[in-house]
Amino acid sequence: MTSAAADWSVYDRPELRDSVSAMAGDGLREVLLGIDGMHCASCAASIERALAPLAAQVQIDVAARTAQLRFDPRQSSLSALLGAIEAAGFKPRVFAQDASLNRDRRAAREELARIGVAVLCAMQVMMLAWPTYGREASGIMAPMLALLRWTQWLLATPGVLYAGWPFFVHAARSLRARRVDMDVPIAVSLAIAYGVSAWRVLAGGGELYFDSATMFVMLLSGARWLEGRSRGVATGHLRRLLGARKLTATRVGAAGDETVALAQIARDDILRIAPGEAVPVDGRLLDDDAELDEALLSGEARPVQRHAGATLLAGSLNVGATAIRVRAEALGHDTWLAQITAVLNRAARERPPFQQTLDRIAGVFSLLILGLAALTAALWWPLSPEHALSAALAVLVASCPCALSLAGPLAFAAGSGRLARLGVLVARPRVLGRLAAVDTVIFDKTGTLTRMQPVVEDTELLGGARAGDSAARCLAIAAALERPFTHPIALAFRAYDRQLPVAALHSVAGRGISGRVEDVAYSIGADDGMLAPLADPAATAIVLRRDGRPLARFALRAPAREDAVAAVAALREQGCDVQLLTGDAEAPARALAQAVGIDHLRARMSPQGKLAHLRQLQGTGHVVMAVGDGINDAPLLAGADVACAMPQGAALAQAQADLLLVGDSLRPLTAAPALARVIRRRIVQNIAWALAYNAFVLPLAMGGVLLPWMAALGMSLSSLLVVLNALRLPRVEG
Amino acid sequence: MEILYLMIPLGVVLVAAAGAALIWAVRDGQYDDLDGVARRMPDD
Repeated sequence: MTSAAADWSVYDRPELRDSVSAMAGDGLREVLLGIDGMHCASCAASIERALAPLAAQVQIDVAARTAQLRFDPRQSSLSALLGAIEAAGFKPRVFAQDASLNRDRRAAREELARIGVAVLCAMQVMMLAWPTYGREASGIMAPMLALLRWTQWLLATPGVLYAGWPFFVHAARSLRARRVDMDVPIAVSLAIAYGVSAWRVLAGGGELYFDSATMFVMLLSGARWLEGRSRGVATGHLRRLLGARKLTATRVGAAGDETVALAQIARDDILRIAPGEAVPVDGRLLDDDAELDEALLSGEARPVQRHAGATLLAGSLNVGATAIRVRAEALGHDTWLAQITAVLNRAARERPPFQQTLDRIAGVFSLLILGLAALTAALWWPLSPEHALSAALAVLVASCPCALSLAGPLAFAAGSGRLARLGVLVARPRVLGRLAAVDTVIFDKTGTLTRMQPVVEDTELLGGARAGDSAARCLAIAAALERPFTHPIALAFRAYDRQLPVAALHSVAGRGISGRVEDVAYSIGADDGMLAPLADPAATAIVLRRDGRPLARFALRAPAREDAVAAVAALREQGCDVQLLTGDAEAPARALAQAVGIDHLRARMSPQGKLAHLRQLQGTGHVVMAVGDGINDAPLLAGADVACAMPQGAALAQAQADLLLVGDSLRPLTAAPALARVIRRRIVQNIAWALAYNAFVLPLAMGGVLLPWMAALGMSLSSLLVVLNALRLPRVEG
Repeated sequence: MEILYLMIPLGVVLVAAAGAALIWAVRDGQYDDLDGVARRMPDD
C-alpha cells in the first residue's frame, strides 16, 4: 500500500476537482465527504478539531456520517483535508457530487414521511369524527363536542397542510404557468374543506369536513406514491447505472500502482481492479478465470466467468477473489455504460404524442369540473347553503381526472421497466404502440441470428499453391493482411497472426484487401464463384490469392446463437412472420435459416434491396420489426416500424434504434411484442374506466346524493384501481 | 365518560410522538433500501 497522502492527491487534479467539489462563492469550494467510523458526538468533535486549521467551515452530520466542508483552494486542498481526517483515525469517502441524485433521495424520503403523517392523521380524525355524526341523537354534552371538534382541527392540520402540501405547490405552479391540471381541483377542494371546517369550529356549529379532507390526502398520496414507485422501476435501472460510475482507478505503472482520475486514463493503460470493485472503463481482460457480475449491463444476475482477451464493460463488478488487470480500450463517453445512460436519459425525456393529448384532455376536464362545482353550489344555494357547499365539494373531489392522467404514463413506465429488466431498453417510448401491432419480424444475419464473430472452420490449398505453402502459413499471411481492420472477418484471422511484415495495404469496399507480405503481392477477398462450392453450405468462403492466382480458401462460419431457434419459434407462436434478409450468398443463408427454423429467406440483398422489400411489406399493411446490429443495416432499421438493434461494442448511442437488446441474447426480444400488447390493453382499460367512473359519479355528486367523504373514497379507489391495473403486467421471462 | 377528557389529549400526544418517530426514521434513511441489507448478507 502506498502512502495515504499520495492516494488523496488525485482529488486535487483539475480533471477531478469539479466532479467532487463545487464553487461556493468568495473563492471557496464546497465538498461533501462521507466519514466511516464516526459514531458519536466526540468523534465529530475530534474531526472538527482536526479540520479547523484547514477548512473555512465544517458541518458534520453524525447520523448521516457526512461532513460538509468549505475550504479555500488557495490556502488548502482537498487532499490535505482528507489526510487530516485519516490522521484523526477515520476513513473519508469522496462522493461524486451528483446533486440530482441526492435531491431525488431527499424527495423520496419526504414523500414517505408525508404519507405516514397523512395515514396517522386521517385515522385519528376519523375516530374523533365518528361520534359527532348525527350528534342530536347521541346526546353528547356540549363541552365534549367542543373538545372533539377542536381536536379534529388540531389533527387535521398536519394531515392537510403538511401531508397535502405538494398538492398546493403543484396547483400553484400550474396556475402560474396559466394551466389547469388535476391538482387544481384537488387543492381547491382541500382548501375549501379545511377552511370552512376551521371556520365552523371557531363559530361553534355546522358540519365538519376534516375527515373527508384527511382521508382524501391519505388515499391520494398513497396512489401517487405507488405511481412514483412504478416509474422508479424504470428509472431505477438508470439510477443504478449512474451509481456505478467511478471517479478513480488504479493504474499499473512501471513504478508500481498509482491512483488516477478516470480522465487521466489513456487507451492501452493497464488498470488493476480489486475484488469487489467496478470496472471503470471498457477494456480487454488480461487475466484468466475472472468472475464478473454484469447484471447492470445485461440484466444477467449470475456472475459470469471471463478469460484473458474478453471485453469487459465499465460498470461490471469484479466478484472474484483476486484482483484482475484490464487494458483500457474505450474511455469516458465511449464506454458502453455512458452510452446506455445517454440512451435512457433521452428516453426519459420523451413524452409520447398520445400522452400529450391525454394531458390536454385532463386539463380541459379539470377546468370543466371547477365550473360544474361552482354551478352546483349556485343551484343548491337558494335551497340550503349548507348542502350547496357539501355538494360542490363532492363534485370537486369525486370527478378529479387523476385516473385519466395516470393511465398512460404508468403503464408505459411499468412496461419499459419490465423490459429493461429483461435486457431490452426502450430508447423511444413512442414505439410501444407500434410494437404491439408487429406481425412481421425481419432479421439480419450477422451479429443477430449468428454470433458476431465467425471462426475459420477449414483451410484448403488451391491450384496456386506450391511446395512449402502450408495451411498455417496461408493463415498467417491472411492474418497479416487483415491486421489493421476490425470487422468480424478480420478478427477471425487474428488468432493466426505471426507478425509477418506487411506493406502497401489497400482495401477496396466489397472487393477485399490487397498488400505485400514479405515483398510478395497477395490479395484476400470473397469467393468470385469460379471455384467448386464449399463442403459446408453455411460457411462463407474467403480466398487468398498470390499474384492474382488462388492460393488458399478459408471456410468461415459464424456459429448461430444458442437461443436463436427458441426465439424464432416463440415469435412464430405469437403469429409473427419471421424473415431473414441478408447480403450473404444463398447457400450459407439457407443453411442458417433451416437451422433456426425460418422459411422466408432473401439472400444476396443489397441495403437498397432490403429497404425495397420492407416498403413492399409495409405497403401490404404489415407492421414490421427489423432486428439488426444497428450499423450495417441502418437504412433497413430507419425504415422499419420498430427498429431493434443488438449493438456490439461501442456503437450503442449511434444505433438508430427504438429498442436496444443489451444482453447477449435474443430471448428478451420475443417477450417485447406481447408485453407491448398488454401495455396497450391496460391503457385502454384505464381510460375507459376513468371515463365511465366520472360519467357515473358526476350526476350523483351534483344531485347531492354523494357526501364529500364518499366522493374522496370513490375517487381515491378509482385512482388506486388504475395504478394497480397498470402495474398488473404478466411475469414474462426472457 | 369524564375519562375521555384525559384520553383524547393523551391520544393526540401519542399520535404526535408516533408521527415524530416516523419522520425521524424516514429522514434518517432507514426506509431508503429495504431489500439491500438482506442481499448483502451473503457477502459479509
